Amino acid sequence: MKDDYLWDKSGQPDPEIRKLEDILGTLRYQPKPLEIPVSRRRNYFPLIAIAASLLLALVAGGVWLRVRNQSAPPPPQEAKVVPTRPKIDDATPEPIRDKSKTTIAVKRPHHKSVPSALTKREREEGLAAKQQLMIALRLTTEKLSLIHRKTQGITPANQIKNQHRVG
Amino acid sequence: MYATADMLLMTPEAHAAAEQSQETPIEAVLVKAVLSGDRDGFARLYDLYAPLVHGILLSRVPRAEVDDLVQDIFFHAFKKLHTLREAAAFAPWIAMIARNRAVDFHRRARETVEINDDLRGSESHESRANEILELIRSLPEAYRETLVLRLVEGMTGPEIALRTGLTAASVRVNLHRGMKLLREKLGFMEGS
Repeated sequence: MKDDYLWDKSGQPDPEIRKLEDILGTLRYQPKPLEIPVSRRRNYFPLIAIAASLLLALVAGGVWLRVRNQSAPPPPQEAKVVPTRPKIDDATPEPIRDKSKTTIAVKRPHHKSVPSALTKREREEGLAAKQQLMIALRLTTEKLSLIHRKTQGITPANQIKNQHRVG
Repeated sequence: MYATADMLLMTPEAHAAAEQSQETPIEAVLVKAVLSGDRDGFARLYDLYAPLVHGILLSRVPRAEVDDLVQDIFFHAFKKLHTLREAAAFAPWIAMIARNRAVDFHRRARETVEINDDLRGSESHESRANEILELIRSLPEAYRETLVLRLVEGMTGPEIALRTGLTAASVRVNLHRGMKLLREKLGFMEGS
């Protein structure tokens, strides 16, 4: 039956439909690979690098300040001496406190006590540490500026230096 | 929807097609695989349903635009697959996306001038195909999509019903009425 061929391609083929199929078949879908773009993940590397550099600079600065404080001579300690009643005997009973009498009081510094006189070797070590920290800070600054240039899309200047002219 | 009155006519073939659709929910398996991260599953869905989307577009938009739109539609479907509530309904879902995209295309391209395919056609066979395609496009919307899927993409009636979400009865009626109209137009064209 002709209707069956139009419906499910069974039965006797209808010549007109076959002809239409042949002609229109040239427009049929030609398989092509599907192009789904790969989802771009945001590149967080510059941000992480900047954050790490800042953290390193902060740590280096903190260490440097600490070393500088240690190498500097401590401020003179002021001991406030006030007259007091001499201690006679532990066994004697506690006398009635007289408000006119005073006791010795030493003002304690808030920070750890630092020896006032550093040895020569300690001073040299402190200076060496200071120099190292300065170098680390300089490197950090350089890296920060490099990252900044990269994120801004600025190519660094000609890095080939100290080249001798030929001829 | 198309031919709503015709949907009431259910033939044994229609019942068979409906049963078949319930037995083989391969798209449901593939959709779940894609949602769990299997990109190859979507390539398989593309292989299965690209002809359907191609046919739907071919019955609505200029042929030169069809291939790019097929890619766009599948890319859109890939991004929005998580919004598909029923995994087994992938075919009607993507068919609807294709129809909507064709409507959008005409809305945007209203002011542009379409270059006739005949100007680009090099072979007479292809030129004839484009002429017949234009005749199919001039038919009522309910018939043109079904006819393109049958005559261009080579699908059978039950396959069209399965993939478009239409009932088999609707597809059958659309095929017969559409074919009758196309024959009349072809006779008119050849006689003129």
